[in-house]
Amino acid sequence: DLDKMLFFSQNDELLVQLSHLHTSPNSQAPVPALPEKGGKTRHGIIPEELFQLLYPKTGVTGPYMLGAGLLTYILSKEIYIINHETFAAACMGTVIIYGVTKFGPDVAAFADKLNEEKVQKAQEVKDLAMTSLAQAIQDEKKEQWRAEGRQMLFEAKRNNVAMLLETNRRERVHMVTNEVKKRLDYQIALQTLHRRMEQEHMVNWVEKNVVTSITPQQEKASIAKCITDLKVLAKVQQAKTTA
Amino acid sequence: GIPLIALALTLPWILFPTPSTRWLNNRLITLQGWFINRFTQQLLLPLNLGGHKWAVLLTSLMLFLITLNMLGLLPYTFTPTTQLSLNMGLAVPLWLATVIIGMRNQPTAALGHLLPEGTPVPLIPVLIIIETISLFIRPLALGVRLTANLTAGHLLIQLIATAAFVLLPMMPTVAILTSIVLFLLTLLEIAVAMIQAYVFVLLLSLYL
Repeated sequence: DLDKMLFFSQNDELLVQLSHLHTSPNSQAPVPALPEKGGKTRHGIIPEELFQLLYPKTGVTGPYMLGAGLLTYILSKEIYIINHETFAAACMGTVIIYGVTKFGPDVAAFADKLNEEKVQKAQEVKDLAMTSLAQAIQDEKKEQWRAEGRQMLFEAKRNNVAMLLETNRRERVHMVTNEVKKRLDYQIALQTLHRRMEQEHMVNWVEKNVVTSITPQQEKASIAKCITDLKVLAKVQQAKTTA
Repeated sequence: GIPLIALALTLPWILFPTPSTRWLNNRLITLQGWFINRFTQQLLLPLNLGGHKWAVLLTSLMLFLITLNMLGLLPYTFTPTTQLSLNMGLAVPLWLATVIIGMRNQPTAALGHLLPEGTPVPLIPVLIIIETISLFIRPLALGVRLTANLTAGHLLIQLIATAAFVLLPMMPTVAILTSIVLFLLTLLEIAVAMIQAYVFVLLLSLYL
């Protein structure tokens, strides 16, 4: 019930009417704050306000005189009679006061500790929630920074990939040109071969035809000519050597 | 004298403020809440789920008796629990309820409690009679224990206080008697323990 949860306020002067506070189920108004400590008392029973009330008229000793006077009046007029029960009351009072003074602060500290533990548990939850949320905010900011960085990372990766693709493409283009060149070279070689073969064939054919066309007559005439040429040459040569 | 009855009727209401709807309370309410929680927790430890229905009854009984006895220690008060009628009126119905509920829900087990384990066979009839007697004497014991303890305590306080009071003109004896009264008073504030015993025995008879 968060709307009924309350932390102590600093206002000690506020007194609270507890009798009809939020007893119907429909009330939604925030509950007024309780004073942090109980009312101040003197000697544990008599509230301090009585002393403050009587101070202007009677000074510091006023309430004590009032108490003493009342006591004397009651005893002397025998409104209160001292009997054996007074004795028992005195003993009981001693025991009670002894118990309260001895164990009072411990018990009060224990009660305060109980409340403190409750508050601390809630506080822990709250603190834990806050630290985890702050941590979440930090992580979120870091993730945002990382997301920006990722842009650059993507760019670099994209560049890498583009370069790889480009390299690949160029390699393939080289390969294609090489292949094409090879094929074209082949064709050229083929053509030169053809031409050479044609040339050789033609030369052979021409030679063969020339050789076959040399008739025996021509052969004889050429041989005779060669002989006469040779004789002439021999004569010339002889003439040269003897000259 | 003063009509102390007016004080006796009005002042005890201060002791137990209504538990507030706030999450953090003042010291008195916190302590009372803590005490009630601890007591109920201790009380319900040995019980199974059926016994948990008795939690409210037993806790309120405990608070009732503690308040009655503690307030009875103050001088001019009357303690109702010194009367046998009230204590028997508390003891008999509650005891009877445990017996009848036990009989109704698991009759064989309830009857089986009448015979402790491992008795030699010839002793069985005698033992059943003895156990039945002990069963029926339980409410008597509960009521009378409470009455007797409280009455005895109050009586002793009254007598010794009267004696001390009468002996007041003759001084020294009074001092000794005073110390005895004081001691007795502190012991008597173990009226609270009496209540523990009462409720605890009541709990023990819950074989639910």
